[in-house]
Amino acid sequence: MRGVNHRRSETAWLPLASLVLICAAVLITTVGSVARAAAAQSVLSAALAPTQITVGESAELTVKTLGAGLEAVVLPTVPGLELRIVEQTHHLETLHGVALGTTTTRVRVTPQHAGVFTIPDLTPSAQPLILRVSVDDAIGKPPAKTAAAAAAPRVPAGETIHLTADGSAFLRLNLPKREVYVGESVPVEIELGLRPGFVNSLNGLPTLTSADFTLNNLSRQPGRSERVIDGVGFAVLTWHSVLAPVRPGTFTLSVESPITIRQRLRPESEAKLEDQLGDPFMQNLYGKTIKKDIKVASPAVELNVLALPSEGRPAQFSGAVGSFRISSELVSNSAAVGDPLSLRMHVSGSGNFDRVDSAMLEHLAQWKTYPPKSTFTAGDAVGYEGVKSFEQALIASRAGAQSLPPLSFSYFDPIARRYATLTSAPLQVKITPAPGEPSAPVPLTPADADVSGTAAAALAGGLRPDHAVPALGVRSLRPLYLQIPFLAVPAALVLGFAGAAWRLRRPGSRRPSSVAASVRRRRRRERDAVQRALAAGETAAQAGDPAAFCAAARQLIAARLIETGAGETPPLELRALQLIADAQRYAAMPTAAVDWSHWLEALRRAAIEPEAA
Amino acid sequence: MPARRLALLGLALFAIAGDGRAQPVESTPKLSAASLYNAGNAYARSGKPGLAVLNYERARLLAPADADIAANLATVRRSAAVYSATPGAVARLLMLASPNFFAWFGLVGVLLTGCGLLGAVSAPRWRRAAYGGMLIGVLGIAVTLADLVVWWPTLHAAVIIRPDTPVRVAPVPMGDSLFALREAEIVRVEAEHEGFFLVRTGSARSGWVAAANLARIVP
Repeated sequence: MRGVNHRRSETAWLPLASLVLICAAVLITTVGSVARAAAAQSVLSAALAPTQITVGESAELTVKTLGAGLEAVVLPTVPGLELRIVEQTHHLETLHGVALGTTTTRVRVTPQHAGVFTIPDLTPSAQPLILRVSVDDAIGKPPAKTAAAAAAPRVPAGETIHLTADGSAFLRLNLPKREVYVGESVPVEIELGLRPGFVNSLNGLPTLTSADFTLNNLSRQPGRSERVIDGVGFAVLTWHSVLAPVRPGTFTLSVESPITIRQRLRPESEAKLEDQLGDPFMQNLYGKTIKKDIKVASPAVELNVLALPSEGRPAQFSGAVGSFRISSELVSNSAAVGDPLSLRMHVSGSGNFDRVDSAMLEHLAQWKTYPPKSTFTAGDAVGYEGVKSFEQALIASRAGAQSLPPLSFSYFDPIARRYATLTSAPLQVKITPAPGEPSAPVPLTPADADVSGTAAAALAGGLRPDHAVPALGVRSLRPLYLQIPFLAVPAALVLGFAGAAWRLRRPGSRRPSSVAASVRRRRRRERDAVQRALAAGETAAQAGDPAAFCAAARQLIAARLIETGAGETPPLELRALQLIADAQRYAAMPTAAVDWSHWLEALRRAAIEPEAA
Repeated sequence: MPARRLALLGLALFAIAGDGRAQPVESTPKLSAASLYNAGNAYARSGKPGLAVLNYERARLLAPADADIAANLATVRRSAAVYSATPGAVARLLMLASPNFFAWFGLVGVLLTGCGLLGAVSAPRWRRAAYGGMLIGVLGIAVTLADLVVWWPTLHAAVIIRPDTPVRVAPVPMGDSLFALREAEIVRVEAEHEGFFLVRTGSARSGWVAAANLARIVP
């Protein structure tokens, strides 16, 4: 074997060597099995079904043995397989006239990982049971040397496919163009090639390595195919998705995917034959491997992202980038006043439909409009193509033939590199009056009412006659106690009564300042009276009128007495003057000899305030 | 000073009252029980029971004791197959006079209460008589409040004026119809929203009715 492997350049005799190797392996295993079959003579039959499953599934092993106990069957230990007895049934069978007890044991076989497993020592002929376990259908099948593999497309030599270091997998990102606009949806294809037998499992979906893009609507179930690259078969998983750049600039982009591979423990030079065998069973048999988690990445791709131009941007542009068409329709060409009417607008084409939006008809005279609702029907798996339909409810408030204005939709065309606005045709609709609800308002006064109704004829006989209408009336039917002008009266009354009661209950609560002011006003009045009397006395003295002088003197003395207090004795001079005045008034005594100038001075002295004097 | 303050307060109250003055009903400058009653008769003869009941109810607000109004209202309701609950004894007693009468009655009650209060404070010799006046005044105010309670449902009621008026689940024309109301049926208005009234019927069912389909008894 070693001599054969050393001659790497000559590969023509390798199939012959493989045949020899297979024969040797069969011989070895057959000899071993015969030796072990002696210990399993009690086994009548053993069957495994199905023989090919995927990871996560279980196969059923049915073993029929002689005897009636569990010890009749000894389950072998197979690394990577879990064997568990789920049922045992006992039967009595007659064999060659002899009654024999048999036991049928059902064993559930659950693989822990993908691979080809051999369950030995169970069958009477010591033939091992082989269970093939794959990650899924595409990965687990041996691809090479089959008709399908022969028909699989071969990758052209110029196409860039970068295999992993051990050649077990590759990942490729197919971009249709290298110059896109911000927000534009770009359909992409992600291919993950896995070499069967070398890749144990796929641990996740492909992801972008750059945060400047989003990967939307990645298909859940990838497409499966087979491809031969440099003579080696690969199971290829293909995802379709939509790439969207989030900001302008020049970026490098790649995708990566986590997988688990089987890494050989022996040098690659020694495993060349195993690679040529292609069969995982043989690889497991003759090559030791370990599992290793790696991330397979695609070659970086440079992408130029352009910003949307600000010139010529329509006001109703909502961010839609792509190629679109619009159409509009009315669900019905006629409706009644008050009934909702559905107006639909369909935007079809390809692009970023998540940014396709329209307010449709926002304000329309004689119509009540409601915000539209939208639904999207994808035309492909990733939603790059499809139809977005907007439906708006409209309610007419006036009957008659009416025309709905055209609808419009604006988007950016990345091929033409400019904004475009599409307009639909106007729609005609006939609005009829609502049934049971006349368009004219119901009259609330009897002047407009139809009095000639026949239906009311019978009723009219049972009505009491009309009343004479008085001249007086009210302007409002609202009761007075709910009218604010009326309520103001009791409110004011309540406040007035409350204030008055408060004043009455506290009579001594007048403030000192108001008492002093009243005293000042009284004194001012007394001083004015004294001055007026003095002025009258001076006038009388100048005129030589003793009667008037005496009257003025009496007034002045009386005012002074009031001012100073009744209990206080006036000066002697004033008392003499008072006597003269009284005599003149009451006794009509002659006063010719009186010295008027002297008494005028006395009067002036009396007019001076006591405090000032 | 207190008199001046009271005058200012009165002026302020009247200024507020000027802003919130009630609007006159429809195009009729002055309404009377007789004119409304005659209008109700005219609508009844023309086969419009909704508008007839509306006018009778309005006339009843001004003259609740009028036997003709009550009789014609009952006749129209019977013809429209619409029935209403019979008021209780206290309500019938209070409906012997109009709400406006009880408004003045309450005002007199306020006056009596206030005068009694002042008398009790200022003239202890007449305190007993003052207390009697206060008691009568308080009774007058209480009767007025009771009258307000009796009329309160009518003040917030409306009459269906179109036949088979749909009651919708939402205040939109396209709202699902819950049930239909007969013309001349009286409902209680609980809310208003963009041309629709939330109404509750006597059987405690509620929904939204277009404003064109009903008319409030007290607009």
